[in-house]
Amino acid sequence: METIQSNIPRRDFLQRTAAGVGAGLVLGAPGILRAAQGDRGGRINVALLGHGKQGQVLFESMKNIPGLNFQAVCDIWKYNRGAAVGHVYALQKQRPNAYEDVEEMLATEKGLDAVVIATPDFWHSPHTVKCLEAGLNVYCEKMMANTIDGARAMVHAAEKSGKLCQIGHQRRSNPRYRFTLEQLINGNKICGQIVNVNGQWNRSLSGSQDIAVNPKIAMQADILNKYGFKDMHQFMNWRFYRDLSGGAISDLGAHQIDIFNWFLGAVPTSVFATGGNSYFKEREHFDNVMALFDYDTPQGQVRAFYQVLTTTSAGGGYYESFMGTQGTIDISEIPTSSNIFRETGDQVPSWNYLLERGLLKPKPAAPKPKTAGVIDSRASPPPEGFMLPGEMNKPAHQPHLENFFAAVRGEAKLNCDARHAFLSEAPIYYVNPSALSKQPIVFTPEQLSV
Amino acid sequence: MKHTTTITTLLAASTALFLCNCKGTSSGGGGGTAGGDPLTLDYPPELIEGTPKPITAAGGAALPSLVQVPEKAPEFLVPKGTTLLSKGKPVTSSDDNPIIGTLDLITDGDKDAGEGYFVELLDGTQWVQIDLEKSDAIHAICVWHYHSQRRAYHDVIIQISDDPEFKTGVTTVYNNDYDDSSQMGKGSDNPYVESRFGLIADGKGTKGRYVRLYSMGNSSNEMNHYIEVEVYGIAQ
Repeated sequence: METIQSNIPRRDFLQRTAAGVGAGLVLGAPGILRAAQGDRGGRINVALLGHGKQGQVLFESMKNIPGLNFQAVCDIWKYNRGAAVGHVYALQKQRPNAYEDVEEMLATEKGLDAVVIATPDFWHSPHTVKCLEAGLNVYCEKMMANTIDGARAMVHAAEKSGKLCQIGHQRRSNPRYRFTLEQLINGNKICGQIVNVNGQWNRSLSGSQDIAVNPKIAMQADILNKYGFKDMHQFMNWRFYRDLSGGAISDLGAHQIDIFNWFLGAVPTSVFATGGNSYFKEREHFDNVMALFDYDTPQGQVRAFYQVLTTTSAGGGYYESFMGTQGTIDISEIPTSSNIFRETGDQVPSWNYLLERGLLKPKPAAPKPKTAGVIDSRASPPPEGFMLPGEMNKPAHQPHLENFFAAVRGEAKLNCDARHAFLSEAPIYYVNPSALSKQPIVFTPEQLSV
Repeated sequence: MKHTTTITTLLAASTALFLCNCKGTSSGGGGGTAGGDPLTLDYPPELIEGTPKPITAAGGAALPSLVQVPEKAPEFLVPKGTTLLSKGKPVTSSDDNPIIGTLDLITDGDKDAGEGYFVELLDGTQWVQIDLEKSDAIHAICVWHYHSQRRAYHDVIIQISDDPEFKTGVTTVYNNDYDDSSQMGKGSDNPYVESRFGLIADGKGTKGRYVRLYSMGNSSNEMNHYIEVEVYGIAQ
């Protein structure tokens, strides 16, 4: 443990009110969209393992969850450790204990209940297993691991330890996603038979550049090497390296392919992928990947297409689209990218009852053209547009973390435990091999099983 | 790597005035001193990290009159003889022990977006103050808070004074605290989305030794960040 002289403010901190906590999760939505929240139990002692960019995103999402005591922080980089100590101190006016090494933290700290892991992907499995074996409940960022065997080890460790292990597929706790699945797709079957799924995460070049670091704050080579990094560039940009991560299909695609599987209630039977380094030729991982998945679901065959592009943000950024015979749902963490369309035709039932019950909102009609166009008899008329009835006004990861801590208190069941996350993630581990070999992979039960 | 963008203009003074927004500030449009020379700035490369966050006020409300990221470097005119006054000058702050980084980063001349180039201060209304070490006529204050993520700044107040305590002789040259959340008076400048082009506030020739910049978080989080501040003026 080390003492980091972090911020000791010379003035009183702002009074933190409960306003941020009690604020309505959903504005103007039916009660079914409201997630559980609020302090229902005692204090939970939490360790933060990894306080880089994603660790800070998670911390921001935990700041308004009552009853958490951030007891310890751990990061191999002194720069991040200092930030973690400062962030925690600013929040709770008590400095956490700071560690470079997770084993030292686990050996030293007493009374920890949970750990939130946001380290690079190749550390997820070793860190999760160590923490579970030390008796901690674990929230670990996705992708579970950089290898499928690493992910399997996490499931085994969780089930052997009897502790909780939530994987950070945060959409599974997003009330907009849960509402869409439970009420619209399953409850009212507004899509009819879902036949196709489409998803993408397209990121612009400016958002895909190497992450820079001021050489003045670089880590010493011996520390980098000790923790598996050859240099500071690799430490900052581990997502580009095959030994350290699964690349863009894992980093970005895992979120959305997980939604494919969750919403369909199935895992794919095969994958056929392609990819390449069309722009970032020096990177080990592909800068663009396209994958086709086949599913056999209880309602019939489904074909899904997923693309992740790191060279353009064109095409609407990131979303998932579930296309059925009666309607299509485009959903995204970005509310403006979420749309619902009802197919036209007499065979499609009216959705007026959904509007009357407040389960959908009509989408404002686009302005009509000033001059009448010529109708092409071969084209279908545009489908009718609808919207979800409400939005979430919390950070995207907060409901998933709330679910985790509620489960730690025994008040909820995990929305994405290690086993379920594994079953959903397993096909993703075969995307890069398919793209590299340019061969389809028909899954065997063994390939997708724990 | 630095990308130098020279702001060139052949526009007549009247055209410059037309381009200028009413406050003479620029996070997108033109501005500055009519008939002056273009201010030449070194702009950092664009480097965006992570998943975009919604750009809204607290609670998800829309920010009024939000100025979007300009497509090119803004045009800003300053009187002949204007130079950079703030390079390497001492910086103090309401938060004298930052959470991340050190205050000297604010005047070190480095505007890059990566780790180790910015200082993070506590939440709430915080200020940083640059001591120019003598009183000069200030014509432009250029600010880069944090540009590796698209986020809006909506509580930015910039003041100039010869009083280090900012109790007397204080001139406010920029204020986009549209809802007076810092309780220093409602401003009439517009919230803006920060980019590698930063913000250029018109100093209007105000004479002063100290420049103080207030902020209170941003659309992504409650913390206060600064990568660089450059103060341009005419040395007396």
